[in-house]
Amino acid sequence: MITRAMLLLLLAVTLSAPPVAAQQGVGETEIVLGGSNSFSGPLAFTGEQITKFGVDLYLRVVNDAGGIHGRKIRTVYYDDGYRPQNAVANTKKLVEQDRVFAIIIPQGSPPVVATLEYLEENKVPLLFPYQSSPVTRARRYVFQGMTLSDRSSKMMIDYLAGQRKYKKFAVLYQDDEYGKSFLTAFEKDLGRFGLKLVAAESVKREVTDVSAQIAKLQAAKPEVTFLVLVPGPAAQALRERQKIGWTDTLMVSTGPLTDERYLALATDAAEGVEGLSLWPDPVISDLPGVRLYREHMQRYFPKNEPNRYSLAGYFAGMLFVEGAKRAGRNLTRESLIAALESVKGFESGILPPLTIGPDHETQKQGLWVRVEKGRFKPLTDWLKSE
Amino acid sequence: MRGAAIATGAVVVLGWPWAAPRYFVFLASLIVVNSIVAIGLNLLSGYTNQLSFGHAGFLAIGAYTAAILAIRASWLPLPATLLAAGLGTAAVGLALGVPCLRLEGLYLAMATLAFGFVVVEAILNLDWLTRGNDGLHVPPGHLGPWALATDTARYYLVVVVGALLVAAARNITRTRTGRALLAVRESEIAAQASGVHLAAYKTLAFVVSAFYTGVAGGLFALVVGFLSPDSFDVFLSVDFVAMIIVGGLGSIFGSVVGAAVITTLNDSLAGFQNYRPLIFGAILIASMLFMPGGIASALRRLPLLASQTPGSASRTPGSAPRTPGSAPRTPGSAPRTPRQGDDR
Repeated sequence: MITRAMLLLLLAVTLSAPPVAAQQGVGETEIVLGGSNSFSGPLAFTGEQITKFGVDLYLRVVNDAGGIHGRKIRTVYYDDGYRPQNAVANTKKLVEQDRVFAIIIPQGSPPVVATLEYLEENKVPLLFPYQSSPVTRARRYVFQGMTLSDRSSKMMIDYLAGQRKYKKFAVLYQDDEYGKSFLTAFEKDLGRFGLKLVAAESVKREVTDVSAQIAKLQAAKPEVTFLVLVPGPAAQALRERQKIGWTDTLMVSTGPLTDERYLALATDAAEGVEGLSLWPDPVISDLPGVRLYREHMQRYFPKNEPNRYSLAGYFAGMLFVEGAKRAGRNLTRESLIAALESVKGFESGILPPLTIGPDHETQKQGLWVRVEKGRFKPLTDWLKSE
Repeated sequence: MRGAAIATGAVVVLGWPWAAPRYFVFLASLIVVNSIVAIGLNLLSGYTNQLSFGHAGFLAIGAYTAAILAIRASWLPLPATLLAAGLGTAAVGLALGVPCLRLEGLYLAMATLAFGFVVVEAILNLDWLTRGNDGLHVPPGHLGPWALATDTARYYLVVVVGALLVAAARNITRTRTGRALLAVRESEIAAQASGVHLAAYKTLAFVVSAFYTGVAGGLFALVVGFLSPDSFDVFLSVDFVAMIIVGGLGSIFGSVVGAAVITTLNDSLAGFQNYRPLIFGAILIASMLFMPGGIASALRRLPLLASQTPGSASRTPGSAPRTPGSAPRTPGSAPRTPRQGDDR
């Protein structure tokens, strides 16, 4: 009796299992994408902008125009609050329960790195992670999003030491993976010019008082001071410098920091600050892609101000759609990877023409900007990091 | 009746990986890990009324100890690694417990809160050992010839360790030690007058609690596979406190239920994105209002379930919680929730 019952049970389980689909996450009329992101915690604003107002904005435009080869794209996002273990749990849930096709734009080095091995093991594409640690470079199932820290550093040093002939550099950096990856890259790139950092001061995460560090940096008399921080402490550093009247140094912000939020916090203390911007100005740029982005934002989310984060997400959505279109009706994970690898000279109207090489990096450039009357004014064309 | 309930529970727990989808096997492992922490925290807070907001710190110490041993001393058998994680954390618990003897209520909560921050800072600054903010990949454990490479294998490991620790906790609470701890909670003066060595028992509670959390940390490292200081923020400590309050202070069964509820809630609310903290908070407030003694005592009040609920065997329904005047407390002690007794 027991054996018969067990056999029946086994049969029921086998029959109730879903039929093996051609590709997980790709149905007759639908493609499912997902991501674990910060909707609470320190990067909640960024998380919401890159996903709901970024990726989803572009996908809505595409879906309303009929989708990709007859399929609409649906997204699922879970909140990890910047905690790696939650990112692991969410990612497993996305892959095993929601059966997503690929992971799109998860945020922050610790949560992304925590899921890397699992995704590679299960051959799930990790698309355009929003973090700058080089650990994601040149992996078969990963296409990196944000310009990596070593490339940013190379562009910044080449421009400042090479073109502008500065000699004395100092760094104020956040004491974590983000800050340290820039610190080591700066040291290496300065070495190429036979230079060394004259001072390096660290700031603990979530600390806002940086007066001691600013005083020490001033004593070292650098011509250029890099800020590798997040908006809060960076704005504090600028105000502190204004307060003590330290004018004979050029403050320079790194790529992830160069955004409007940081400007709004620093107000007039930000005047004259320079930096590497990874994106054209989302509000005033005349590039055709950015104009279209503003139009779409106005149409779907009129209350949401254009900003660099949602622009980054919008670009990620665009790149996925380009890959999926090239892969054709028979979309699989492998065909998507092959399609993305075939991207050459792709015109987004936002960034310069994009060619994806074996390093699987989708962004390698930045442009130099200076704050004038509360906005970033471009000083250069796109700088190259190769 | 009770034997049947336990047998059913055992069958469900052991058969889970075959019945449930893969993701829920992983989730169940997390629930067991959190249950172990909740039991440890309950031994401290529920039994001796010492509130801790620093258990994420203990979990971190256990997790990093196990992970570093697994990387640097990979010949060490897994049970030894877990034991070392527990003992190392217990030693830290002892070091923290002794000065905390002088603190009560809010001051103790503050001290443990600070402890949680200190641990995270220590992990950041010992980056030659912990790799700081870069995070640490934990290799899959080995149990003799078997590599614990799948969610199912890790689930069984976690369940076995969890069962051992639940049994141990039940034994502790039923013996003289457990009664002494409860006496300390009810009234420190009365307990002392009855010959309970206050300092010794309060410290013991800290050490045992830290041991449990340390072992859980070791399992956490294996189940999650990646550690970073961001894993152990203060909100995780708050989650642990929420588990024992929702489940039931002073109840081992309640700890497990609380861990299951909070873990599942955290997981299922992740889809609500930025509304998650709001909904989570509302549920907590509601359960405090409507089930002040936690789920364990609410279940006990249901006459139907009372006879089946493990941990309520010797209790007549309705007699347990909220007897007025049952818990005279020292002034300034933490939340005035009615509590039930232990799992006798």
